[in-house]
Amino acid sequence: MTQEMLIAASAWLLGLAFVGYLASTLLYGAGVIGGRISHGARFAKTGGWATNAHLAGVVFHFLAILARWQGAGHWPTSNMYEFIGFMAFTSMLAFQVIIRMYRLNVLGALVGPVGVFLMAYSYVFPPKIQPLVPALKSYWLPLHVSMAALGEGFFAVAFGAALLYLLRVRGLELAAQEREQVTVAAAGGGGGVMAGGSVAASNWEQKWGTRGLEVLFYAVAVMVGFTILALVFRYSGFQWLFPNSTYHLPPIIGPQGAPIGDKGYLLGFIPMPLFDAPTWMRGKHMNTMLYSLVFGGFLYWAVRRFIAKGQPIGDVLARKVSGDPELLDEISYRAVAIGYPVFTLGGLIFAMLWAKEAWGDYWFWDPKETWALIAWLVYSVYLHVRITHGWEGRRSAWIAVLGFGVILFTLIGVNLLIVGVHSYAGGDM
Amino acid sequence: MALAKCPGCAAALPEESNFCPECGRALGDLERPRAAAQGNGWVEFVDKAWDFFASTRVAVVLIALLAVASILGSLVEQEHLYQDWRPPQLYYPDRYGAFWGNLYLRLGLTHAYTSTWYSTLVLMVVVSLIICSFHRLVPLHRMLTRPQVWKLPHFIRRQDVVHEAAGSIDEMEKKLKKRGYTVLRDRECLYADRGRLSRYGPYIIHIGLLLVAFSAVGKAVPAWNQTRDVWIQDGQTVKVPDTDFAITNHKFTMELYTTGMPTRFATDASIIRDGEEVKRQTIEVNKPMSHEGWEVYQTSWREEPGVARVKVTNQGGFPVANLAIDLRQPEQEYRITDQVKMAIVAYYHDFTLDPQTKAPANASFEIRNPVIMADFIDQKGETVGRAALMVLSKESSYFTGPYALSVENVDTRWYTALKLHKDKTVPWMYFGLGVVMLGMMITFFLFHWQVWVREEQGKLLVGARAYKNKFGLKQDLKRLLGIVDGEVSISA
Repeated sequence: MTQEMLIAASAWLLGLAFVGYLASTLLYGAGVIGGRISHGARFAKTGGWATNAHLAGVVFHFLAILARWQGAGHWPTSNMYEFIGFMAFTSMLAFQVIIRMYRLNVLGALVGPVGVFLMAYSYVFPPKIQPLVPALKSYWLPLHVSMAALGEGFFAVAFGAALLYLLRVRGLELAAQEREQVTVAAAGGGGGVMAGGSVAASNWEQKWGTRGLEVLFYAVAVMVGFTILALVFRYSGFQWLFPNSTYHLPPIIGPQGAPIGDKGYLLGFIPMPLFDAPTWMRGKHMNTMLYSLVFGGFLYWAVRRFIAKGQPIGDVLARKVSGDPELLDEISYRAVAIGYPVFTLGGLIFAMLWAKEAWGDYWFWDPKETWALIAWLVYSVYLHVRITHGWEGRRSAWIAVLGFGVILFTLIGVNLLIVGVHSYAGGDM
Repeated sequence: MALAKCPGCAAALPEESNFCPECGRALGDLERPRAAAQGNGWVEFVDKAWDFFASTRVAVVLIALLAVASILGSLVEQEHLYQDWRPPQLYYPDRYGAFWGNLYLRLGLTHAYTSTWYSTLVLMVVVSLIICSFHRLVPLHRMLTRPQVWKLPHFIRRQDVVHEAAGSIDEMEKKLKKRGYTVLRDRECLYADRGRLSRYGPYIIHIGLLLVAFSAVGKAVPAWNQTRDVWIQDGQTVKVPDTDFAITNHKFTMELYTTGMPTRFATDASIIRDGEEVKRQTIEVNKPMSHEGWEVYQTSWREEPGVARVKVTNQGGFPVANLAIDLRQPEQEYRITDQVKMAIVAYYHDFTLDPQTKAPANASFEIRNPVIMADFIDQKGETVGRAALMVLSKESSYFTGPYALSVENVDTRWYTALKLHKDKTVPWMYFGLGVVMLGMMITFFLFHWQVWVREEQGKLLVGARAYKNKFGLKQDLKRLLGIVDGEVSISA
């Protein structure tokens, strides 16, 4: 087989994997909701089908990686497109491991979309095969990157389980509040003041937990918004040319030193660029960020207004989630307990050995490795918080959520915002 | 005074216990009364400091602070990473603006990871790590090696997995031993456990991390961490400063992709000591050469105009001589014919006219615009002609007299850049990392299971607890007790 055929085959297999993940997400969702509506009478087997569809997706994805490896002549983790796709694969692989240990279908309904999103996100970057620079030509490329990505995959599952835990605890809280209101209403005015007082005083954790969930959903909306914008504008062919950069989105924030209003007017009245970027950040990235924040805000608003009927999204979801919160906490912990040693080995130790071999020192405080260390520290905090009396539960779950945010920033944010030795070709949008 | 209650299982705790006798939870972070220090300020201080660093909460906060502090250094370009010839005092105000640049310099953000505040934080984490580990390891060890075997039924019934069956305790002991449990007996009771090592795992990780931290700090000792950078041109040998050896670059090779990006670059190099070759190896990226604790890395390369092949022609346009002029260091004279020689009057490797004096001068130290000015001198010592040659621009040759100069071609001269690094902390660092990894395997992939059995009137009461992986323990006990799946005799 020629190389072109292998690469084409890889693209088809990737498509099949995508279909598998999507199908499994829908089946998990249908199983959970259907099971709930029918009180467990029907949809008993849907979860099993979903797991099988998901497994098929993982197998296709693995074949796609093998095909691209043979087609490209190097292990396909050398640029952002390949890496994000690989990370989607490891997340799904980690999910297969965990779901087979615990058989909790509601987890699939949440982790599945993470994989689907990561795969869609990978297409933001050019999928072209690029030749390797000498520094990447080493057996450490597959070892370091694959191991690190596998650990991060388990962290993705831990994120999903922790988010479910937070929602579930919130759901129980809401149910308790409603019960209390009913009893208060029954008991009449006198007792109501006291009971109401106890709820209001009960904690700031409750209040901030709810807000935190909304912030999290907004962040997710921003990332989804960014992906949609990036894909639409990449393939639409719009271009605004500046001396050192090419914009695909209308330039509201120009590169440093670009003349204001040089590129005409957006919608007829907003001069492009409206203002220039400061010295410490590239104008193009700042421009994209502005659009993502605004578009993400719009998406969040739309979901909250039309789907959640004006209520906080977290509360609406919280009422839908079922399950034993202790089990969700256990799953989250178990995923971290597997991911943490794997990430330590792949993301830090292998990285140090390779750095020593390629650059002459095992540690440089390069932004990427610094952020890998930060992520490791956050998960270390998670493991310690979980055994600290009084801090377990919600607080540790929030750290698992935060940890995955740090992982995503390490993988994507550092490449886009901070320049260093790890800046891959094509990490530019 | 007895402590109130175990935070894990709410059982009453005896005085001075470090672990809950009921559930085995470590109580290191609980406050406990201490013999009053009676006004001795030092003892009080040490006690307070010990209690502070022994707390898990303090440890958690310190790790979190270290994470936050690490972020700061990743946002400002670090001094050892920027690619500019200017010193930090000039570079940062230009890079970030005068106000921010100077502020970053003042705060040490430009070398965040070697700054005082970062080092202090690392030190505090290390102290907390030592004290926390010590505070818990000793009582943990005592609890694991000298457990209480004899237990009351109500204790056994409170465990994660409880089972009642007919049988004798001797038989049970044999079965448990066969499955790899360590068994202790006390009258009608039995205690068995396996995977005990798992409980030591976190402390093994901590020891590994201490080794890592000490190796990292050890890099600050100049003699333990040395680097040298050398540039060597093809065919030359350069002595490495402050060492007893030299390095020869036999040939530097570079291969390119069609895009012009290098696919591979390498140096065929030798180590020379006392005039003799000790070792010869091709050094390339990801393949350094080792020599007596030094690692030699391929880092970069440079090319410059090397030797100019110059043709001398006479008035009729016929070639009379071919010269090879080394542009790094030309000879003073070149022979043209038996009667005539060419003397180099002036040579500029980067010719320019000084804007003030309008005199010829060099614009840089590099060979960018080499210009040769030469006189042709006959046997009597008289100048018969003159020529000036701009080597890299094809048409610019000026002459008076019978001879003219023209450049046939210019050979490129390659330099390889090698970095030598001798780091005595590396073996310690790798050993520390190995210990960390070993500790993680033990912590996360081994499980500590404890089983208590009590014989009462020919019946056995079995209670078991899993520190991790409750599910696996249940399966194990089912197999051990011969229970077929589906029997509801095991409660969890």
